[in-house]
Amino acid sequence: MWWYVVKRLLQTIPVFLGATLIIFVLLKIRPGDPILNLAGNKPVSQEVRDALAAQYHIDDPLWQQWLFFVKHAITLDFGNTFAGQPVIELIKQTFPVTVVLAVMALAFDGILGIGLGTIAGLRRNGWFDSSMLVLSLLLLSIPIFVLGFVAQLAFGVKLGWTSPTVGGDWNVGKLILPAIVLAVANFAYTLRLCRTSVAENLSADHVRTARAKGLSGRKVVVNHVLRNSLVPVITYMGINLGSLMAGAIITETIFNIPGIGNAAFTAIFKGETSTIVAIVTFMVMVYVLMSLLVDLLYAVLDPRIRYA
Amino acid sequence: MPETRPGQERFVAPVDQTPLRAIDAVDVDAVPESQWKEAWKRLRVSPLFWLSVVIITFIAVMIFFPTLFTSSDPSRGSLDNSFEPPSEGHPFGYTQQGYDVWARTVYGARASVAVGVLSAIMTAVLGMITGAIAGFYGGIVDTLISRVSDIFFSIPLLLACIVVISVINNMWPNRGFWGAVAVVVVALSLFAWPQITRQMRGAVLEIKNLEFVDAATAIGATRMTNLRRHIVPNALAPVIVASTISLGVFIVAETSLSFLGLGLPSNVASWGNDLSAAQNQVRSGQHLQLMYVPAAALALTVLGFILLGEAVREALDPKARKK
Repeated sequence: MWWYVVKRLLQTIPVFLGATLIIFVLLKIRPGDPILNLAGNKPVSQEVRDALAAQYHIDDPLWQQWLFFVKHAITLDFGNTFAGQPVIELIKQTFPVTVVLAVMALAFDGILGIGLGTIAGLRRNGWFDSSMLVLSLLLLSIPIFVLGFVAQLAFGVKLGWTSPTVGGDWNVGKLILPAIVLAVANFAYTLRLCRTSVAENLSADHVRTARAKGLSGRKVVVNHVLRNSLVPVITYMGINLGSLMAGAIITETIFNIPGIGNAAFTAIFKGETSTIVAIVTFMVMVYVLMSLLVDLLYAVLDPRIRYA
Repeated sequence: MPETRPGQERFVAPVDQTPLRAIDAVDVDAVPESQWKEAWKRLRVSPLFWLSVVIITFIAVMIFFPTLFTSSDPSRGSLDNSFEPPSEGHPFGYTQQGYDVWARTVYGARASVAVGVLSAIMTAVLGMITGAIAGFYGGIVDTLISRVSDIFFSIPLLLACIVVISVINNMWPNRGFWGAVAVVVVALSLFAWPQITRQMRGAVLEIKNLEFVDAATAIGATRMTNLRRHIVPNALAPVIVASTISLGVFIVAETSLSFLGLGLPSNVASWGNDLSAAQNQVRSGQHLQLMYVPAAALALTVLGFILLGEAVREALDPKARKK
């Protein structure tokens, strides 16, 4: 077990360094004066210029600059937005609502995807399975923002079940609709993966043995089929945290949720590349950390992984 | 020898009296059919396949002969026509800028499908080469490729594209149609290849240890011949399926990028741009056709490619279907 944890932790280091290197290289190949870029292309005095050059180590060799970039990322020092607010302040203000939104989306994705996927898998090729297949294909082929607008219009404006936009005073009730929209894209994959996995496990030897012992159908499904089928589904949901964060940029923009995705969209809209890079770096860090946690959790749940 | 009791006598017919017709019918000299030919046989009778062929053919006709569908010019907008209702020859009316909605949708197919097809091809080529090398040579080469692909895989696709395209926007502000398409394609495939690499690597690892490869080596095939003639062609099936499905995903990704203002520039007619331009009207619940028409075209196209991928998957792997 500990050996696995150490191995997995060691694997994270090159991934993290590599990801920051890619972002750093992209940042460096940007044309123009880096100091002007940092200051939002406003003219700066010599003192400010020297201070910024010292702060961002612009005169150092590139590899040192990269190490400083990594150091700043680890210590969460992302510099300032063009308006002068430290980016980490912006992240602190906006991240909590995104976490709530993402957790809610993950819950919807998990409950609906696993629930419906299991039913479809148990009755493979029946009418329920076929209609779920059609539903998931349709959901896959519609962009999330179109779905967001339609949901906003239908449930928020026309039916008035929920407020169409969230705004500054957000609460969990207002986030339900955006969370469902955010969950939809992943839901289609979770459903199909769960269905295939359940259907495969149904014909496994240990399930037949459980049946032969005379266990009730319900017990066989819950204890023997589901437990084994959920392993790939849960990994997939872990991997999907990344697309959840990218989806948050779109969902938060549509429903005007004051989260980190909305902050990213504002930065994109204003062309503040350094702020975009800071936020994306933060999101990638969160993602790498979350994948690590999912993998470790997984080793606790599934003995085959820790002893492999 | 034990004694035979009545009823236990066995009778075995002489060979010439029991012709094993099924076995005799097998033509031992016939060339075995390739998996592609067999797959094609199953594909031919799949309704899913023909449905996807109809959809894709329709979209292809729309791309190559747009004048069959509309006689309006998609790039000519006149504010005189702003929000004009549908009329003869303009079945869905006009946008705020006075563009013909239907003409924009017909001509928009070109950009959206170009992004999808080119990204899928580039991702498949990158992934197949790296995956085959990693799986075949193993050792340090494998470790290196796998770690690098882990790194690219660790950055979510859309987030990565946001950074790449933001940076390129600073460097290359005015790029024409193909320049704009190229930027989106490069950004998407730069971060999407690891998935294909993993699949290809897995398939090559599995196949390179099969007996027919040993047999080829025994009759004097070199390592390169083995890789080229025996391993890669047999490892292609899952990669082709994944690439076909990813084509649809890339088309959707382009519209998401356009929604964020980072896809194709707004002067290019594309579904992403039309949808993104429609958001203000749709928000206020008016002129809904501005969103529904391009969205329907987009959904149909993506569905076509996903269905094609599914049909090919079933045809190549009949075992999965029977189970």
